[in-house]
Amino acid sequence: MFDYTFQWRQALRYVPDLMDGALVTLQIAVLSMLIGGAIGIVLAVGRTAQSPWARWPATAWVELARNTPALFQIYMAHFGLGSFGIYISPYAALLGGIAFNNAGYLAETFRGALRAIPETQTRAARSLGMPPIQAFRLIVVPQMFRIAFLPTTNQMVWAILMTSLGVTVGLSTDLTGVTQDINARTFRTFELFALAAVFYYVIAKVVMLGARLLAWRLFRY
Amino acid sequence: MTDYFTSPALRTGALFVASGVTAIGLSAGIAKADKLDDIIASGTLRCAVVLDFPPMGSRDENNEPTGFDVDYCSDLADALGVDYEIVETPFPDRIPALVSGRADVGVASTSDTLERAKTAGFTIPYFAFTNVVLTREETGIDGYESLAGKTVGSVAGTYEGIQLDADIEKWGEGGAYRPYQSQADVFLALSQGQIDATVVTSTVASSIVESGKYEGLTIGGDAPYLPDYVSLITLRSEYGLLNYLDLFINQQVRTGRYQELYEKWVGGDAPDLTIDKSYR
Repeated sequence: MFDYTFQWRQALRYVPDLMDGALVTLQIAVLSMLIGGAIGIVLAVGRTAQSPWARWPATAWVELARNTPALFQIYMAHFGLGSFGIYISPYAALLGGIAFNNAGYLAETFRGALRAIPETQTRAARSLGMPPIQAFRLIVVPQMFRIAFLPTTNQMVWAILMTSLGVTVGLSTDLTGVTQDINARTFRTFELFALAAVFYYVIAKVVMLGARLLAWRLFRY
Repeated sequence: MTDYFTSPALRTGALFVASGVTAIGLSAGIAKADKLDDIIASGTLRCAVVLDFPPMGSRDENNEPTGFDVDYCSDLADALGVDYEIVETPFPDRIPALVSGRADVGVASTSDTLERAKTAGFTIPYFAFTNVVLTREETGIDGYESLAGKTVGSVAGTYEGIQLDADIEKWGEGGAYRPYQSQADVFLALSQGQIDATVVTSTVASSIVESGKYEGLTIGGDAPYLPDYVSLITLRSEYGLLNYLDLFINQQVRTGRYQELYEKWVGGDAPDLTIDKSYR
């Protein structure tokens, strides 16, 4: 039983607004991947380190990021910190929350990739006279990226979809925020959410295809 | 004596009339029952009510729905001779709740904007709100104009939220507007200091200040908006139900029940629901 007349013309008027929202969504997703990726490498190295001082904090981060809902993490960044008098904007809370989440997942992806690189590679590099840092940077990291690249694009898609949680902390400029705002004013719920879904789908698909293309260009043997 | 039934012409005529009567009877039988019929037949009226919007809708200490809108729904169910069921619905979900058939009527303080009326069916107003500025004591905000350049927020897409957003943008001066998904989040953000003020309906403001749930909140003057007339909503095509609801609202006012409910949940004189020099 679905008694509703679709009025696409009414909803299509808002496509430019949705487009602006999509750009913000993409921006947050990209930034969160860069921040999350950088922290992720540190965490991955930390988790494989000998020293418990490096291992424990890294493990705690990864456990927390992977085993609690992203919604909870973003909500905590806004209202949780807020209750301690630390105020960050909805944009920053969403970016921080997703970056935290990304870092946790990417750390595990990177750790798996590191494991896949034979120990002999490092030893060979060391025997050529490279210091440990240089061996890691020049020999291990490039190979790690090659292995981790496609799983990382999965996380990128996740990041894009997670931005939709920004509405819970009062963000109104991303794709879901814009959609929700127009929805509240016009009540054209079904058309608008269908449009938003198409936007998310296209963005995610383009990112996936772009990543494949990039991987094909970069990592050809 | 003429035997009417042996006259071929008359017999045909009688048959014609008889079949016509049968056809009318049949067509009445198979006519699609409308929403009003469906509600009466099902024996239950399902009302979409917002339950974080005291005193219109909230939950009591036993977690049961309570408030003006809940009583209003119960009155409506009594009038229809059916039971009622409260379907908790956050503000942004009112239309989806109706369209997906989870609820029959929205008793949810819905402002009757022309934009929305293209999608949903609105009754005559059943309540009217005035809006006030709600702030924390230490912000020094003492009127609507002093919100310029401040960070403010309200529930996404509400009548007062739309106007506040527009004014903050008009004033500029670095002010920002944040839409939240529920009234509870707005109060949390306000009490934490994430936002400096919000504009809410006077009933909600006095109810939340009195409750003492959030410390240091205070009313910082009136918001100069037109009265926010709110209607019951249902599907736009359900004229039978809309007619019934209009009459029901009229009767609630006429019999003094509207004033009685206002006294119970808000106190004082109930706002006038008629508009001077106009019909509706």
